[in-house]
Amino acid sequence: MKLNELSPGEGGTIIRIIAGDQKLKRRLRDMGIVKGETLVLEKVAPLGDPIEIRVKGYKLSLRKREAEQIEIEKLNKEAL
Amino acid sequence: MKELIIAFAGNPNVGKTALINSLSGAKLKIGNWPGVTVEKKEAELTYNGVKIKLVDLPGIYSLSPYTIEEKIARDFLLEEKIDAIINVIDATNLERNLYLTSQLLDLEIPTVIALNMWDEFEDKGYRLDIEKFEQAINAKVITTVATKGKGVNKLLKAIISTSEKQNKPNFLKLSQKIEESIEELINYIPEDFQLPKRWTALKLLEKDEYFYERMEKKDLLGKLPREEIIDDVRKRLEKYFGEDIGTLIPEERYGGVNSIVKNVLRRPVERKRELTEILDSIFLNRMLGIPIFLLLLYLVFLFTFNGSGPFIDWTDGFINGYIGKWTGIILSKSPPWLTSLIVDGIIGGVGLVLSFVPLMFFLYFFLALLEESGYMARVAFVMDKLMKGIGLHGKSFVPMVIGFGCNVPAIYATRALEDEKARKITALLIPYMSCGARLPIYALFTAVFFRHGQAGVVLSLYVFGIAVAVIVGLILKKAVFKGKAEEFLMELPPYRVPTLKMIWSSMWLRTRAFVIKAGTIIFITMIFLWALINIPYGAPPEKTILGVTARTIAPIFKPAGFGDKWQAVAALIPGTIAKEAVVGALGQAYGAGEEEEGKEEKSSFWEDSIDQIKGFFVAIWESLKSLATWKSSIFEMEVEESPLLKKIKNAFTPLSSYSYMVFTLLWIPCIVTLGAIYQEFGWGILGFSILLTTLVPYIASTLVFSIGKFLGF
Repeated sequence: MKLNELSPGEGGTIIRIIAGDQKLKRRLRDMGIVKGETLVLEKVAPLGDPIEIRVKGYKLSLRKREAEQIEIEKLNKEAL
Repeated sequence: MKELIIAFAGNPNVGKTALINSLSGAKLKIGNWPGVTVEKKEAELTYNGVKIKLVDLPGIYSLSPYTIEEKIARDFLLEEKIDAIINVIDATNLERNLYLTSQLLDLEIPTVIALNMWDEFEDKGYRLDIEKFEQAINAKVITTVATKGKGVNKLLKAIISTSEKQNKPNFLKLSQKIEESIEELINYIPEDFQLPKRWTALKLLEKDEYFYERMEKKDLLGKLPREEIIDDVRKRLEKYFGEDIGTLIPEERYGGVNSIVKNVLRRPVERKRELTEILDSIFLNRMLGIPIFLLLLYLVFLFTFNGSGPFIDWTDGFINGYIGKWTGIILSKSPPWLTSLIVDGIIGGVGLVLSFVPLMFFLYFFLALLEESGYMARVAFVMDKLMKGIGLHGKSFVPMVIGFGCNVPAIYATRALEDEKARKITALLIPYMSCGARLPIYALFTAVFFRHGQAGVVLSLYVFGIAVAVIVGLILKKAVFKGKAEEFLMELPPYRVPTLKMIWSSMWLRTRAFVIKAGTIIFITMIFLWALINIPYGAPPEKTILGVTARTIAPIFKPAGFGDKWQAVAALIPGTIAKEAVVGALGQAYGAGEEEEGKEEKSSFWEDSIDQIKGFFVAIWESLKSLATWKSSIFEMEVEESPLLKKIKNAFTPLSSYSYMVFTLLWIPCIVTLGAIYQEFGWGILGFSILLTTLVPYIASTLVFSIGKFLGF
C-alpha cells in the first residue's frame, strides 16, 4: 500500500519509492526514506494536507502527492 | 598573520549559528551568498595569534545539488581553500545527521565533529562511546551545548590542532561491491586531479548533473574517465543490486551510518513522551491548529505594531521635529532652498530610514521567537494547503498578514521561506496587502463620498487587494515562475526554548543590515524626490518638475477616471515616500494647504533636548501600555474637516474616487518597501516589482472605472 493510505498512528516498512522523478526520489532518500526503514504516520494537517511522519527518529512533513509515491508494507501496531 | 578558514556545515536547526556566536563572542556579520538571497553569516576571531574566519554554511541535509543551499555549501567546500570543516550535529538525531557527515568525510578535508545539544542527549538517557566514534572516522569529536557556551573552548582547540595537522578523516565505508567499483574508477582519475578522488568517483557513478556542469566550466571534462567506462561500472553495479544508482548510494550511505551508530550509540530502553509531542497535539490539532495559529499571528501583529508605534513616533519627532528644527535654525542665514534640501531632503531621508528601526526590532524579535522555537515549521504545516494553490508556501501566510500592518517588515519576514520561488512570489504580492499608511487616503475619500458605509468601502478595498494578489499570484505561477513547484519536504524540528542571546543577535544584525543596505537606496531616492517636488524652488506646485510632468502624463489616466486631475496624478509621487503623504500632497496641489503650522512655540535648545529625553521614556511607557491592550490601533481612521474635502468633492465623483483609491492601494507601496526588496532580492526582482505595481494598478483602476460606468455609477 501507499503511505498516504495510512491513518494517524499507523505505520509500516518502506518498500520502495515509485516516483520516476529522479530529483524527488533523491530528496526523499536524503531525508531518510530508504528501503527497510520503519515509518509512522503521526498527523494529518487540519486542512487534510500535508501529513507528518516519524522516520529515523525525527519528524518529516510532506504532501500527499509525494506520499503517494512511497510504497510501504503496513505493520501491526505492536511492531511499531 | 596566518588566517584559518573554517566552514561550519550541518543540518538545519542544529545550532551552527549559535555555536559560531559563542565562539566569536557574538561578532557575526550577515550578508548574502553571491547571486542568491540565501543568508551568509560569518565571524572572525583571533586565538593565540591565529586569525580564524568562521563561515556558517546554509543548513542542508545532503550535498546532492537539488536546492540552492546544497549548491552553495558544496561549491564553498570544494572551491574555497578551507582549513577545516566543523560538522555540527544534533546529537539527539544522530542517524540522519550522520548521513550528511558521510558525504562531508568524502571531501577529504580535515574535520571536527561538534556533537551539539549534548545536554538534551544525556537527559534523554542516550549514551555514546566518543573514543570509538573518533577512531572510526579519524577525527576529533567534541560535545557542545552551543546555547550555554559549553564545550566551546575545547572545540576551538580542536579546530586549531586539526587545521594545523591537516590530517584527513576516514570515510564511511559502503559495502564491498561498491567500494570495489569506486576503486576501479579512481584508477582512471589522474593523480593530480584537483578534486578528492573518492568523491569524484561517486559523483561519476551517480551521474551528478551539477558535477558535470562545474567540470565543464572548469574545463576538466577531458581529465575524467571516458563515458563508456563509467557506464560500464555503473551498469554492473545496478545489475548486481537490482536497484538504480540513485537509490543505491543513499541506501548504502545510510547503511554505513547505521553500522557506526550501532557500534557507538546506546539508546534508552524506554522512549518517553516528549514535550514536542505534547505541544504538537495542541498546535497541530485538527480542530485547534488553525485557530491557535491565527490567534498567535494576531498577537504578533498587534505587539509588533502597537509596541513599536510610540517609538516610531518618537524617532520621527526626534529627527524631524528636533534635529530638523534646530538644523533649520542654525542654517537660517543660508539660502532657503539649501535649508529645505538639508532639512526636508537629507535629514528627512535619514529620519525615514531610522523611523523604521523600532518596527524592525519588534518584528525581528517575534520572527526570531517563531523561528527559534520551532513553531514556524508548524505554520507551514498548518497553512500549506491554503497557500500552495497560488505557488506560495505555508510559511507565506505570515509575511502576507504582516503586510497589512506595513509592507516593509513583511518583505523581511519572507526570510522564513526556504523555497526561493515561493519567496519571490510572496515578496511580489506583499505590496497588494493594504498597509496602515494607506488608511488616511481611504479615510479622506470615503469621508467625502461614502459617508454612510465608510467601513464597508474600506473593507472592500482590503478584499480587493487580496483578490488582486490571488490573481497576480496565479498569473506569476503560470507565466513567470513556471516549472514544477518545489516539493514540500520539511522537517518539523523539536520545540526548543529560544535563548535571548540568539534572538537579540538576530534582531541586531538584521536591523543593522536594513539601515545600511536598504537605507542607502532609500536615502538617495528621497533626495531625488525632494528635487522633483521642489525644483524650481519656490514655484507653485503646478510649475515644479513634478507638476509639469504630472500635467503632461495625466491624460494617460483618463480610462481610470482621474486623467483630468493632474493634482491626483502628481500626489502619487510623494506617495511613494510614504503612502499617507498622498493626502498632504493633494492638499498642496489643490492649494488647500494644511493650516500653516505657524505658531511654533518658542523654546530653547535646552528645553527641547530635555523634552526629547522625556519623550523617549514616555514612548517606553506607551509601548508597554499598548502591549497590554488587545486592540490594534493601526486600523483607526481620523479625518479632520478641511478645505481639501470641498475641493475633492468638486473634482471627483464617487466612482472616480474609488478608482483612485484602488490605484493608490495597488501602486508602489513606498520607497522603503522598494529598498527592502532591493536588499533582499537585488535589482531584477525590484524592477519586476515596480513593473507589477505600476501596470496592475493601472489595469485594475481602469477596469473599476469602466465597469462602474457601464453599470451606471
